[in-house]
Amino acid sequence: MRKHGLVLMAIILTLSLLSACSSGNKSNSSESSAASGGKGKKELNILMESVPDTEFVKQVVDKYTAETGVKINIEAVNYASMHEKLVPQLLNATSSYDLIVVDNYWVGEFTDAGWMEPLDSFIERDRFDTSVYLKSLFNMVGQVDGTTYMLPFYNYAMSLIYRTDVFMDPELKSKYQAEFGRELTIPETLEEYVNISKFITKEKGSTMYGSVMMGLRPDPISVEWLNYLYSSGGEFFKEDGSPRINDANALKALELYIDNMKNAAPKGAAGFGFDEAFNVFAQGNAASFVTYNWMLNKLQDKEESKVAGLVNVAEVPGGASLNGGWGWAIPKNAEDKEASWQFLKWVESFEIAKERASLGGSPTRKDVLTDSDVLGQFPHYVNVQKIIEKSKMIPIIPQAPQLIEILGRELSEAVSGGKSPQDALDTIAKEVKEFE
Amino acid sequence: MLSVKRKQFLIFIVPSLLVLAVTVLYPLVYSFIMSFTSSSLKVRGFGDFVGLDNYIKAFKDAYFIKSGWTTGLFTVIVVTLEFVFGLSVALMLNRIKRGKKLFFTIIIVPMLITPVAVGLIWRLLLHPDLGIVNYLLGVVGLEGQAWLGDAKLAMMTVVLIDIWHQVPFMILLLLAGLVSLPGEPYEAATIDGASRLQTFWNVTLPLMKETIIVAVLFRVITAIKTYDLIYVLTKGGPGTTTEVISYHIYKQAYTFLNTGYSSAMSYLLLLVIMLLSVVFVRLGRGKAQAR
Repeated sequence: MRKHGLVLMAIILTLSLLSACSSGNKSNSSESSAASGGKGKKELNILMESVPDTEFVKQVVDKYTAETGVKINIEAVNYASMHEKLVPQLLNATSSYDLIVVDNYWVGEFTDAGWMEPLDSFIERDRFDTSVYLKSLFNMVGQVDGTTYMLPFYNYAMSLIYRTDVFMDPELKSKYQAEFGRELTIPETLEEYVNISKFITKEKGSTMYGSVMMGLRPDPISVEWLNYLYSSGGEFFKEDGSPRINDANALKALELYIDNMKNAAPKGAAGFGFDEAFNVFAQGNAASFVTYNWMLNKLQDKEESKVAGLVNVAEVPGGASLNGGWGWAIPKNAEDKEASWQFLKWVESFEIAKERASLGGSPTRKDVLTDSDVLGQFPHYVNVQKIIEKSKMIPIIPQAPQLIEILGRELSEAVSGGKSPQDALDTIAKEVKEFE
Repeated sequence: MLSVKRKQFLIFIVPSLLVLAVTVLYPLVYSFIMSFTSSSLKVRGFGDFVGLDNYIKAFKDAYFIKSGWTTGLFTVIVVTLEFVFGLSVALMLNRIKRGKKLFFTIIIVPMLITPVAVGLIWRLLLHPDLGIVNYLLGVVGLEGQAWLGDAKLAMMTVVLIDIWHQVPFMILLLLAGLVSLPGEPYEAATIDGASRLQTFWNVTLPLMKETIIVAVLFRVITAIKTYDLIYVLTKGGPGTTTEVISYHIYKQAYTFLNTGYSSAMSYLLLLVIMLLSVVFVRLGRGKAQAR
């Protein structure tokens, strides 16, 4: 009997070890193909995020291989693991990635550390026209202080996505008119937005929420609230660089945000990540959602959403939404920068950018956004262009990831009642001041 | 000259010692040195030597201290509940004659799932609006809860999920102990006319002492190190209600890139775990015997 007991114990221990190991063991495909060195590299490795726009790149790269014989390996990983995968690679003598994509809030950190190759000499030599990019995007994921480090890959400026049928509902409209003495329409100020949101939740109960929100730390709550901040006239920093994140505008933004979270959003939205919030909206349980404008294409897809055909995009009430975007960059320690540039030039050319856009990709080039074929397919790009042009970015500073972490923690404290809104904002200002 | 036996001994032991040195000792020493430097992921190498600054900083870091308390609370609750629950199930399983294999298989399943998958599954199940848990509560007329989105409930929710995930470990370990108990003390107890409760209290528990201590110690250590569940379920929120110490250290290393500071915090954590282990091992000393 004793022997059985020991064997059983050994099995348990082994199993628990195994289950612990497998969680940390992700694919390591990147290292296998780094061997081919020197100029004229025949295989390029790219680290990307697993999002639709990456899929659209994957769908067109075969063409590049056919034209040039260069094989493109795209390693698509989850956003959360990208930064920690990239940093050690960029610190090495050589990187196993020939091209990377850079989120706008890493830009300050990456340029500060000197991890990205300036592209100006390539651009000048090949006469690549960068004026085709939307200004607000190129200033965010293109050039920094006059040096071009990136080409804008795709935009994810935020916007208000709303249900056309709910906002046009005559019954709701007349009730709203009776109660508030004004018309129920797409709101132009945040106060009006929160008011309408609460009204819809009150009228429809648990079948339809006025808005679905995402309060999970650190990114979802931060990016969502920044729309409120910018649309309330708030900013991170004053002209002189000192923080103004705890001023009256920011306080108003946070109070409106909390009001909406408590009285309009679904129960538990304070813990929603991006997917959870999206699913509520896609299931038809919410009337509005402050989210990335490219979500509209996903929501119009009958296979992914129950609300296809009933949604549209508008600017975030108040007018200034959070800009976002990714840029292509060549790591400073890439093995064959010429080969990387050749691919970059190709994938960002008008034809390929247009092809990616027609697959559903989110454009960064003006000529693609206004192309008649693309507009025919996605008429809402007229709105999207306006949204991008008026949107504001997270400040480009080396500590942007830290900024988001602090922001997320304190906003979540304020929403969950752990701190008063003013205390939370004061803490953010204090910790931001400590950045060197 | 070495004797043949000695030689054989060396041949067998040296390779494994080498592997251990490279995989265990090297990182330990490396991070220990790192904990006295201003090392950051942004710069290559160790950075400047800063003495005990990182350790002092840790004690002044209100979030570090708070996460320590949160971890302590979490550990005490989950280990206690898992032990009580695990022991009762193990005792019941030890008695049944039929279907043991079937129960075994079912019970072991949660343990085989990686923590990340466990977290993702439960996130779906507990979705306040679309999840099945609130739906079922609604069917029986109870109000659904916000679970992970409610500052008052989030910790309890994480605890429940951890129990679901880790109780099998407790059950199987304790069951292994029960199965290997000798039969004689029980016969003696029966002859002496001991009641069931008396037998449990005076025979089973003392004989099980060592197994129990090992099982509880293992769970205490893994509970203190809990990271993946928090990462997937709450990211420390709402507010900082579920921010446990390992997650806090992770963020210092990978978001704030302060590897020196996070190494120092890891060593403080290691110190606590080692002290706990010593206490537990002391408790377990002395030959176990039926009273």
